[in-house]
Amino acid sequence: MSGGSSSRLSRKRPSGRKALLATLMLLVAVASAFPLVWMVLSSLKTPAESMQVPPVWIPHTPGLDAYEKVSGVVNVGRSMWNSLVIASVTTAGILITSMMAGYAFAKYHFPAKSLLFSVLIATMFLPPIVTLIPLYRLVGSIGLNASLAGIIVPNLANAFGIFLMRQFIAGVPDDLIDAARMDGASELLILFKIVAPSVAPAIAALALFAFVYHWNSYLWPLTVLQGNADAYPIVISLSRLLSYNRGAVNTGLVMAGATLAVLPPLILFVLLQRFFVDSIVGSAIKG
Amino acid sequence: MIQRYRASAGVMLAPAVTLIGIFILLPMLLTVWLSFQDWSTQTPFSSASFIGLDNFREIFGASSVGRDFKVALINTAIYTALSVILILPLSVAFGLMVYQHDVAGGTALRTVLFSTYMVPMIAVALVWSKLYSPSEGPLNQMLGLIGIGPQPFLSSPGSALVSIVFLNVWQQVGYFTVLAIAGLTQIPGSLYEAAKLDGANRFEQFRFITLPLMRRTLLFSAVIAIINAVQVFEPVALITQGGPVGSTNVLTYHIRRVGIERAQGGLGSAMAVMLMLSLIVVVCALFALANRKDQE
Repeated sequence: MSGGSSSRLSRKRPSGRKALLATLMLLVAVASAFPLVWMVLSSLKTPAESMQVPPVWIPHTPGLDAYEKVSGVVNVGRSMWNSLVIASVTTAGILITSMMAGYAFAKYHFPAKSLLFSVLIATMFLPPIVTLIPLYRLVGSIGLNASLAGIIVPNLANAFGIFLMRQFIAGVPDDLIDAARMDGASELLILFKIVAPSVAPAIAALALFAFVYHWNSYLWPLTVLQGNADAYPIVISLSRLLSYNRGAVNTGLVMAGATLAVLPPLILFVLLQRFFVDSIVGSAIKG
Repeated sequence: MIQRYRASAGVMLAPAVTLIGIFILLPMLLTVWLSFQDWSTQTPFSSASFIGLDNFREIFGASSVGRDFKVALINTAIYTALSVILILPLSVAFGLMVYQHDVAGGTALRTVLFSTYMVPMIAVALVWSKLYSPSEGPLNQMLGLIGIGPQPFLSSPGSALVSIVFLNVWQQVGYFTVLAIAGLTQIPGSLYEAAKLDGANRFEQFRFITLPLMRRTLLFSAVIAIINAVQVFEPVALITQGGPVGSTNVLTYHIRRVGIERAQGGLGSAMAVMLMLSLIVVVCALFALANRKDQE
């Protein structure tokens, strides 16, 4: 009797716990997804639907009119192109400089190696605002301000990339490298033809991180461009939409702009999230 | 042979070291140097003139410069503390939800949580300034449904900073959840099995196994969360411009306004140096605290 009731209890308790846990997980997911879902839904509404009280959550006749209107306010094509150039060139630079330095730190012995590594890594924890004022002047004095080059050049190398590459290249067997050296391959050839393919997932992760980070970056482009709208990346161009954010009539327009800015990084993430997550986990554990 | 690789090391390191040297380390040293100078950002570095500690006296003084800086420093401290206090427990709770195997959907939850971290701040600002809108904003409409009156959110000095903290937590918590999961995967499953045999319930397992073994992860998360929090710029620049009545004027925004927009490079650099010193003190204190706990 007592045995029967206790077994029923132990069967019942876990299932109640599971239901509670499932509900909690659903709530967290809904709360987390809500702003972006609402953004996309609002971008598909007509202005009349946006102003309706009580609010319409899901548009009855979804349309892309708002997206057309965005291109009337912001030069979407030009800004998207600028963002693409900034993010891709910066990413390519970061990949090359990080792989080279990461390889040196992982596989070479040279004087003051750990000191140099510590100094470089320390810059990873430096908030960009600390260097912003002199950097602005410095970039101006070499004639790069108000241009895409001014946004890109100071960001072509960073400590996170070097750290990540060193961690993964350290795991490449020395025998592989020594064998190639015996065959007379140059060090650069070894790095790009032999080492790089064996750390491809880490390179993919770094590429995605760098691309998304520099697609989204705002403070430095805003500062260095000094109002040169021709060179604005999409995240700065869209700030014009904020002045349309009073009142409900332009909600669709504003949300269409926001959706445009979100799509490229979000699509990249959905396609390749495995690499993102693995590299964060990897860098946290190994760090 | 050794000689050859030493030369190769130079070649391999040159691009990264040169770039980081010129564009990060040199500006950092310049910031420290400029903090002791009278210098306008619109003039060359050579026009700077040494004025000792005057910049520091001014930013801590009773003038409007001092008042604004102290408000920005306090706002940044509050913003950072609130962000860390909210993000760390949530990241552990969400990490446990993703990591457990009792209920399916953990990986999907991780994807949803982490996706917000990819969203550019301009989109976050556009969406949240609408969500927070006092009259037609969806948040107040939903609060209305459960009988809570409209909240002023970003338009009142009492709630604007906290509203920006929520926006920041929403955006970043997924990243810290992934860090928490990384920490959870490091805990050997055998510990939990042994604890179960000893009759420990789920709460006791969490209290005596999960939390202590997560300390290193939590310390790392706390440091990253602090460094991220002092960088908050876009929501303030885009939505509140530091207002209402200075309530969201945070350091990154304030230093840029003083040092770039008003071109008071010396004053701005002194503020940046204070930010850097405060960060170093806080991070060292965190590490000291963690080490003392380790020894107990």
